[in-house]
Amino acid sequence: MIENKQLIICRCEEVTYEQLQSTARQHTCSARELKLRTRAGMGFCGGRTCRIALDAIMDSFIPDENKAVIPLKYQPPIRPVSFGTVGGRHD
Amino acid sequence: MTRIIDHAILGKLDSLKKVSFQFNGKSYEAYEHETVAAALLANGIRQLRVHEESGTPRGIYCNIGHCMECRVTVNHQPNVRACLTKVEEGMTIESGRRHPTPLKKTEGLQ
Amino acid sequence: MTDLIVIGSGPAGLAGAIAAAGTGLRVTVVDEFIRPGGRLLGQLHQEPSGEWWNGIKEAEKLQHEAHALGINIRCGVSVYNIETAEAGWKVYTNEGVLEAPFVLIATGAAEYPIPVPGWTLPGVMSIGAAQVMTNVHRVQAGRKGIIIGANILAFAILNELQLAGIKVDRVVLPEKNAVSRQAGEPEAVIRSLLNAAHLAPSALLRFGSRLMKNETIRNIGTRFYPKNGLKINGTPLQLRKAAVEIIGTEQVEGVRTVDIDAYGHVIPGTDRLYEADFVCIAGGLYPLAELAAVAGCPFEYIPELGGHVPRHSETMATPLPGLFVAGNITGIESGKVAMAQGTAAGLSIAKQAGKQAAASGRQLEQAIEHVRTIRQQVAIQFHPDIELGRSQMNEQWKAHEGTSVQPGEKIG
Repeated sequence: MIENKQLIICRCEEVTYEQLQSTARQHTCSARELKLRTRAGMGFCGGRTCRIALDAIMDSFIPDENKAVIPLKYQPPIRPVSFGTVGGRHD
Repeated sequence: MTRIIDHAILGKLDSLKKVSFQFNGKSYEAYEHETVAAALLANGIRQLRVHEESGTPRGIYCNIGHCMECRVTVNHQPNVRACLTKVEEGMTIESGRRHPTPLKKTEGLQ
Repeated sequence: MTDLIVIGSGPAGLAGAIAAAGTGLRVTVVDEFIRPGGRLLGQLHQEPSGEWWNGIKEAEKLQHEAHALGINIRCGVSVYNIETAEAGWKVYTNEGVLEAPFVLIATGAAEYPIPVPGWTLPGVMSIGAAQVMTNVHRVQAGRKGIIIGANILAFAILNELQLAGIKVDRVVLPEKNAVSRQAGEPEAVIRSLLNAAHLAPSALLRFGSRLMKNETIRNIGTRFYPKNGLKINGTPLQLRKAAVEIIGTEQVEGVRTVDIDAYGHVIPGTDRLYEADFVCIAGGLYPLAELAAVAGCPFEYIPELGGHVPRHSETMATPLPGLFVAGNITGIESGKVAMAQGTAAGLSIAKQAGKQAAASGRQLEQAIEHVRTIRQQVAIQFHPDIELGRSQMNEQWKAHEGTSVQPGEKIG
């Protein structure tokens, strides 16, 4: 692959392939740790655009044996909502 | 961008009521019941916001509410998805701006 | 009071709502989009019979049927969480919390992203975005576009863009990398297109099925695939070119490509720049199952179905009591299959809710049989081994049946 530095994977946090690769190498981290260190998939959309790409990249660094388990946990809210909405205020 | 008025299979576009709205202080026309994203593209506007930190331009990506790239401020309410919001008469829409990052080290100074 | 909350008003959700309401259940449907129909909206292709499949018309039919049955369809409602409640489920939305003993998750699919340098520029969109813009909103995505990615979805939408008079300059592959994988290998792309060739709705995919029957000829076919590509209604399909960068400052101005060999390796010194004002990224679809995950549903990884899929039975039940799934969340297939699955799910829910009509008759069995029949008939098949994927899921369901919580105990 050429020009990894320019290849943004996570659009929200502008995390590049090169950043993911070097972080994975430096810290030999799990998928979850790589996400926390780089913030890939943790931006405004909550990983709804890049999650599958991230899974594939992380799997290329550290192949995961147990494919039945979703690599990164899904957590609510799965759509952006205001604190008012979560708090039960609906006006 | 051009509207698809006559379509070989889907037929002619229903004649709809026009509404006017504002985007970043300028007035534009839209068709009633269409989304903000469609109305802006029909007016030739692709850039809806800039990335808060880097300032890179952004527009619609998924067009169905997943990616949040098209988020704009509608009638002073921030982070509204342009692709899922119907445009209304007199609506004021503002695109997102770049935020200051005073504490961030710039590259080369580390 | 609502007996059933359906999340998603696409073909599966609406068909499910209609089947359930037909037995007397009170049904509420919620959807994020501005109008019901889900990804039926935008679908437009010619069946092998010559008839046109117009998704907008199909969605309208379902909507009318739903209204006649008193189904409450609420658009512009986003679901952000789902939890078990005392008697069933709590569905959290931007317009408040809904509660019902039964929930049908019919959230469909999302597009597999293929990151390309420059893909954040305005004017770069997922291919589905261009479809919605064209056929639903009736606004041209641009004057001249380039599609990155060659798969069934890309060709279906290419055809739709051409029908709307939008110029698509060329279809190229993504550069081969950890994300694009086989989508960046001409050999693999040709193989997958040929597998689907007999099912394809338009002539474009039948181009080489006779010529490239066996492996040897197929390899020669890939190696000697013409540089300028074969034309699909005037648009060159360039399987030996890969997009390496999308160029532009304020918005898309063009795509830089390189030539690649049959396995996706870059041939040095073959850079070209093609002008365009929009780019569509076509990575294919995967089941959008985040709500099932949040609800705590177990998953199975089945590539033939599109990846991680909530475990479910042929009656569209999940191991969680009162929670059902239908449509592309259970595997990527045509909208017609989704509709048939929705009907099965609606009847299955009615049966559990103790509705006589559904419980005593053979309606549910017939609906399940109908899903299989439709699957064999449909014009568009996203994965050649879909049947294998489906039988794997059925095996998984049976293997876990004893350990799962039996649905149907909490009907109230």
